[in-house]
Amino acid sequence: MPLKNAHTQPHTSAPSWRWALLGLALLIAFLLPWPLSPLWIRIATEVIMWAGLAQSWNIIGGYTGYLSFGHGAFFGVGAYMTGIVMLHLGWPFALGLLISGIAAALMAVIIGYPTLRLRGAYFAIATWAFGEMIRQIATILEITGGAFGMQLPAYLNLPFFYYLFLLVTGLTYLTTYLLLERSPFGYKLLAIREHEEAAEMVGVDTVTIKIKAFALSAFFPGVLGGIYAYWVTYIHPDSVLGAQLTDFMVVMAFLGGIGSLWGPFLGAVVVQLVNRVLWLVWGEGTFYLIIIGAAICTVVLFIPSGIIGLLQSRIFLPGTAWKEIRKKVKW
Amino acid sequence: MLIDGLLIGGLIIVVGIGFSLCFGVMHIVDFAVGEWVMLGAYTGFILARYFGHDPMIYLPLVFLIFCALGLAIYPLIYRAVSGKRHNPVLMGLVFTFGLSILAKGGALSVWGYHIQSITTWLSGKSLALGPLTIPALRFSGFLFGILITLLLMLFLYKTRLGITIRATAQDREMANLLGTDVRKVGALVYSLYAGVTGMSGILIGALFSIHAAMGVKYCTMAFFVVVLAGMGYVPGVIIAGLILGLLQSFVGVYIGGRYNLLALFMVMYGVLLITPKGILRRGI
Amino acid sequence: MLLQSHDLTKSFGGLVAVNQLSLKVEKGTILGIIGPNGSGKTTFFNLITGMLPSDSGKVIFNGQEITKLRPHRIARLGVGRTFQIPAPFSQMTVLENVMVSAFLHTSSMKTAKKKAEEVLEKVGLDEKADFQVLNVTLEDRKRLELARALAIEPILLLLDEVMSGLTPVEVKSAINLIKQMHHQGLTIIVVEHVMDVILSLCDRVAVLDYGRKIAEDTPQKIVNHPEVIRAYLGERYRARG
Repeated sequence: MPLKNAHTQPHTSAPSWRWALLGLALLIAFLLPWPLSPLWIRIATEVIMWAGLAQSWNIIGGYTGYLSFGHGAFFGVGAYMTGIVMLHLGWPFALGLLISGIAAALMAVIIGYPTLRLRGAYFAIATWAFGEMIRQIATILEITGGAFGMQLPAYLNLPFFYYLFLLVTGLTYLTTYLLLERSPFGYKLLAIREHEEAAEMVGVDTVTIKIKAFALSAFFPGVLGGIYAYWVTYIHPDSVLGAQLTDFMVVMAFLGGIGSLWGPFLGAVVVQLVNRVLWLVWGEGTFYLIIIGAAICTVVLFIPSGIIGLLQSRIFLPGTAWKEIRKKVKW
Repeated sequence: MLIDGLLIGGLIIVVGIGFSLCFGVMHIVDFAVGEWVMLGAYTGFILARYFGHDPMIYLPLVFLIFCALGLAIYPLIYRAVSGKRHNPVLMGLVFTFGLSILAKGGALSVWGYHIQSITTWLSGKSLALGPLTIPALRFSGFLFGILITLLLMLFLYKTRLGITIRATAQDREMANLLGTDVRKVGALVYSLYAGVTGMSGILIGALFSIHAAMGVKYCTMAFFVVVLAGMGYVPGVIIAGLILGLLQSFVGVYIGGRYNLLALFMVMYGVLLITPKGILRRGI
Repeated sequence: MLLQSHDLTKSFGGLVAVNQLSLKVEKGTILGIIGPNGSGKTTFFNLITGMLPSDSGKVIFNGQEITKLRPHRIARLGVGRTFQIPAPFSQMTVLENVMVSAFLHTSSMKTAKKKAEEVLEKVGLDEKADFQVLNVTLEDRKRLELARALAIEPILLLLDEVMSGLTPVEVKSAINLIKQMHHQGLTIIVVEHVMDVILSLCDRVAVLDYGRKIAEDTPQKIVNHPEVIRAYLGERYRARG
């Protein structure tokens, strides 16, 4: 029997206008610091950092389906590693970053082996417990400065950090694209997410692949954490290891669309934007948490595929959107 | 120190039973459990402050308020858990996670970071029991814990409704086949759990302190108790609660208060890795 | 002897699901396994494929002991399996589902895609290659189960009640498909409830009851076997038989 629809095969190369759009976006991103004031450069830098963090979480949470609720620990470990390496060993920043990434990945492999054996909810709780453990430990150890944290030497060059974050986040997205969207590895992860037993039945070595994904998802936060440490110059357990880090990663990935390439980016932009807007209008506050919480609930209930899912189902035409919402609200 | 530990253990047993049943009946892990405690504490605080009288008097009222709240939220949770998208347990988890952020954000926005405490006529008073002098408040907290636990166990084991709930918690499919309306049972369980947890909040607020971010600590404890007991296995909760209490006291006295949470997390993590179905291996 | 199980045993709590089961399958034959519900047929499959650890006993496949191996290793060695209730990868297309299996023998996207398309053509699903699995009928999902198992290039294929839920027309079509695969050299173990299917496909039939093998013979002889009749129909009928 002949094959139908030969032109709509899965994962064809994206149409050329998409590549052009990406190129344009990158160009803008590259030129962005030039006209902006320091405040806005800082805001942009944060958005980029979070875009990278959210995507990293997405690798293990979205693509593989293992919700890691302690993922902030990798960021914190990276931050502290760079801090320790620079302060106590006097090694250069670049080396510190590399060590941070590797340390985080290594930690993921070590705890991944026993923890990835747990299913769904148990994995979430275990990683949550692990994340908090790391924070408590950092509060206690002397080398990390205990509850007082660490003070790093200052390097006041805002654009430097902007470009560095841009580079690493870019790498995160590139890696996700190459390894997860366009390769057997990605397919296997999706298979594990959808039906792990069936995946084993068709020869997928779930244990090894899960650990690889987990390590990959930890590497980037490790490096980003290292950059962050040097950027803000002062780190302490609550700032780099607090649960709110993981909370943000999860929210951004979910809001944007878990398991998609650009979902986390959208999620990061939206969340940070909301945060900043509220900050500007109402002053420093916690009101944004209410919005964030409500956002996750809404996403889970009505748009589990996130904003990307909405866009993909071409639902942003006003009439259709309302009809779809009405349809779904009929409990 | 020892008493404090056992006391918090006892109160958490109350929370833990509801929490465990929620998981058994609806397969949801309520990440917002700590927030229920926090909201209960604040509600008691507000009622006492604006309407006068002792906060303890409002216990029944708070119970009803929170039952109603639970009943109102339940349909949303049910919907989250029965979506077409895979992994309903995880979806429920993320949903309650969102709720907890919502609640915490709301509390922080309204009450800020101030630490409050609830004072009742029992505060500061002591009881003489034989050779010991026990603070009255702690004693009542202890009584409360035992009383509610007893009531709950009686309900679960001696009433028809309670047995239905336990059956559903242990084997949802079978209960469904036997004609139980699982959805209604879920609603009942969740509202009961919310009510009881809210009530415990008042006592916890009186015994310790109230602040908007206190949810995490009690969430941790609830998780600890349920993980050790085995998700869905109610009798285990009592044992686990006692272990919690002892662990807290032990750590507080011999190692230092700031290691409290760390000890909790380490034990919890260890148990998950070694016997994920709880120490007695009776979990789901 | 392609597959052999020696005294395979598995209990769940107090219940013995598989009780010292010893079965043999010759290369190139089709073995049928029948038995009342709960007689341990699916558990047996789970034990062979490594999804469940056995309490005791051995499984030897193609001269190699596979008892303690993990499922993906056993799959690599050439054991394919379908699930009784189809378990496709839901958020992927039909083609993508099969590609996952194809990746067992290749790391190239192109090759895997081609392989998957070939297998889909074999089971008659090539027209629906780009359909989302969620939008596909039960019969098609069963075909997909088959395709997924075939794409790993198995030597032995375990079919767990493929016919359940299919209309008579669909059953005929499925029987033809299985016969085709058999002609191409596949050794097959079929678990079924429908006797007609067993009679038309199998070279030999084993009958399970409460986890034990109570008979093993050609289909014709099995149908008249007194123990089998007793197991299926109850004691009252044995006396009459």
